[in-house]
Amino acid sequence: MENRKCRRLPVFCLAVCLGAASLGGFLPAGRGLGHVMAKEEVITLRVCNWEEYIDLGDWDEEERIELDNGVEILGREALYEEFEDWYYETYGKRVQVEYSCFGTNEDLYNQLTLGDTYDLVCPSDYMIMKLMAEGQLEPYSEDFFDQDNPENYYQRCVSPYIAEVFAENEINGESWERYAACYMWGVTGVLYNPELMTEEEASTWAVFDNPAFYRQITLKDNVRDTYFATLGYLRQEQLTDAAFLEAPDYRQRLADMMNDVSPETIEEVEQLLGGIMGNIYALETDSGKADMVTGKIIANYQWSGDAVYAMDLAEEEGVYLQFAVPRECTNLWFDGWVMLKNGIGDDEEKKQAAQAFVNFLSKPENAVRNMYYIGYTSAIAGGEDDTVFSYLNWCYGAEDEEDSIAYPVGYFFSGDNADEDYIVRTTQEQVGRQLYTQYPSEEVISRAAVMGYFNEEETRNINQMWINIRCLDVREIPLWCLLLTLLLAAGILAAVFLHKKNHYLG
Amino acid sequence: MGAFRFTRKQLCIPYAVFLICFVAAPLLVIIYYAFTNGEGQFSLMNLAGFFTSPYTIGTLAYSFGIAAVTTCVCLLLAYPIAYILARSQWRQKPVIVVMFVMPMWINFTLRITALKEILTVIEGNLAYHPFLNTIIGMTYDFLPFMILPMYTTLLKLDKSLLEAAADLGANPVQVFCKVTLPLSVPGMISGVVMVFLPSMTNYVVLDMLYNSTYIMGSLIGSYFSAYDWHNGSMIALVLLVIILIFTLFTNRYTDEDTGNRGGALL
Repeated sequence: MENRKCRRLPVFCLAVCLGAASLGGFLPAGRGLGHVMAKEEVITLRVCNWEEYIDLGDWDEEERIELDNGVEILGREALYEEFEDWYYETYGKRVQVEYSCFGTNEDLYNQLTLGDTYDLVCPSDYMIMKLMAEGQLEPYSEDFFDQDNPENYYQRCVSPYIAEVFAENEINGESWERYAACYMWGVTGVLYNPELMTEEEASTWAVFDNPAFYRQITLKDNVRDTYFATLGYLRQEQLTDAAFLEAPDYRQRLADMMNDVSPETIEEVEQLLGGIMGNIYALETDSGKADMVTGKIIANYQWSGDAVYAMDLAEEEGVYLQFAVPRECTNLWFDGWVMLKNGIGDDEEKKQAAQAFVNFLSKPENAVRNMYYIGYTSAIAGGEDDTVFSYLNWCYGAEDEEDSIAYPVGYFFSGDNADEDYIVRTTQEQVGRQLYTQYPSEEVISRAAVMGYFNEEETRNINQMWINIRCLDVREIPLWCLLLTLLLAAGILAAVFLHKKNHYLG
Repeated sequence: MGAFRFTRKQLCIPYAVFLICFVAAPLLVIIYYAFTNGEGQFSLMNLAGFFTSPYTIGTLAYSFGIAAVTTCVCLLLAYPIAYILARSQWRQKPVIVVMFVMPMWINFTLRITALKEILTVIEGNLAYHPFLNTIIGMTYDFLPFMILPMYTTLLKLDKSLLEAAADLGANPVQVFCKVTLPLSVPGMISGVVMVFLPSMTNYVVLDMLYNSTYIMGSLIGSYFSAYDWHNGSMIALVLLVIILIFTLFTNRYTDEDTGNRGGALL
């Protein structure tokens, strides 16, 4: 008896160890039990953001940005970590941010449907609309909109242009601004190598079908972006027609046209896209930037933020890339912070912390840190604080040089493009490069349309169109290929059976 | 309440839990989704949809095509190598074998990234030959899985059988065709299984080498990311059934064959 017990002891120990280890896995990593229990009243804020979409700090000392207005910027810690300290100093309460990331809007939506709970997430425009239409979002509270409160950085600093777009657009009779706070924004266009393609050639959605660039341009590997580009090409003549451009309700008509997902239009797009697929290099999501730098492709359909990133990357390798926005129209896109009913619930403290997180990210110096770190354009203009505009001057300003030109960005900063205070004096070569990409000219913006969300049936239709484009149609496989495959299969089978027969005979 | 008794069987519990959580339960979910529609009612529409759409059938054919060509290329490349390796008298043989297996130690996405650059240098533009690139990528990826089982089979092959055949007057070609080749079939079949099935769904290779045509794996993924769990599950299920049939067929065959070989040796 004694003996048997002894033999079992190691096994038992092993089991206990395994059990303890698996139990440990359920506890938050890196935080001991005592640590959590010692603090009282800690608000936990679960934030889910795009990957690499926030400043993670840890800058070198020489990266310090010294702006004209006297502000110095240096990222030490990740912004969400600094938020915890800021919140304690400002509101006297402890908050702990559980920060996680998602890869695509669809992944985020799937995570939410499968039961993951977050308090604050940062999806793109159409996903915000979808979540809003489904009633999943918690509206921002009254005091978030109070501009007299000095801590309400978002309302005080957001660009008037962005604020207007968010106020204008509605879902179920409610404007976006009630539910969403814009984080980053931009347009879509064509990133190209000016040595191999002219600006004229790049500034149209027809570029993807241009036989001069056979197998040298990429499109995006997602149905929405590629649908928009193809539709812009399909409607090219109407979109550039003078009567259409000068119509008093031009913006509304543009939006309607670029959100057209009627079955007939989808059919036409499918036809056209089928042809384009025979001319492009590939569909990509992320690899296009590197392929531009290595010269595998000479143009690539790109979001403005990624285009800036690619230009910076290419410059280090001595390659100079440019960005062109098609003359027909462009897709204005946003990523915005929304609170989820599911996560926030009735917890007022949590809601306040979530709103404070948005405000903290909207502090002009934090907006600059994000822009510097990720290359995208923040929705924050700064209001009375000129830190963001100073940062523009710091990046692109060239007042001393003789051939400097005036680039007005007043539409974004003050709502008036003629505003003398918001003109960047920059070099001639910046036209078509980073400044232009980060802050497109007012002329480009006037042609921008937001692509909304589609209802279930429409979504199914465009997804089916995409699958049809991507799949091989069995009717298009040449007969000899089918026959060859059959022959091959029959050959293998015959060989196997013959072998078997021989064996039995043997 | 009896005292807790620890038996050896209980050591299986972690694995059983793993199996239930990550294999059995998801499979049930897939079956459930495959046979229901958006309203949660029983439906055979997904099944009918699979076999009536020219696009899914086309994708199935394309996947089969890629898998069949990859398997043939792997077989043709691997057999001579395995044969030479197994028959050579060289003392450093294990070193050579390790050299063929070594690529498997490196993550395959890294290898394909490198291959992308190499192919770009050779071809100039990857987009000209998407099918060829895919086959090269798949072969690059799966060749060791073909070499190893064939090498093992050929190594274990009883040399006295070959000597007997030669003594009875067979010339080397006849020895190879009548003895070596038939006896190496089990190795070939395990190699084929290990190459054919994964290459039907290994869509990462296509993605990375810019072949934008869907194969079965990417088709399932595209349905899932469009929240269409029902059609995606049905495709996964059909694929599973195909794999099952294939495995049953080959398993039965290899078993019988080993049995026969045992008989022949007696």
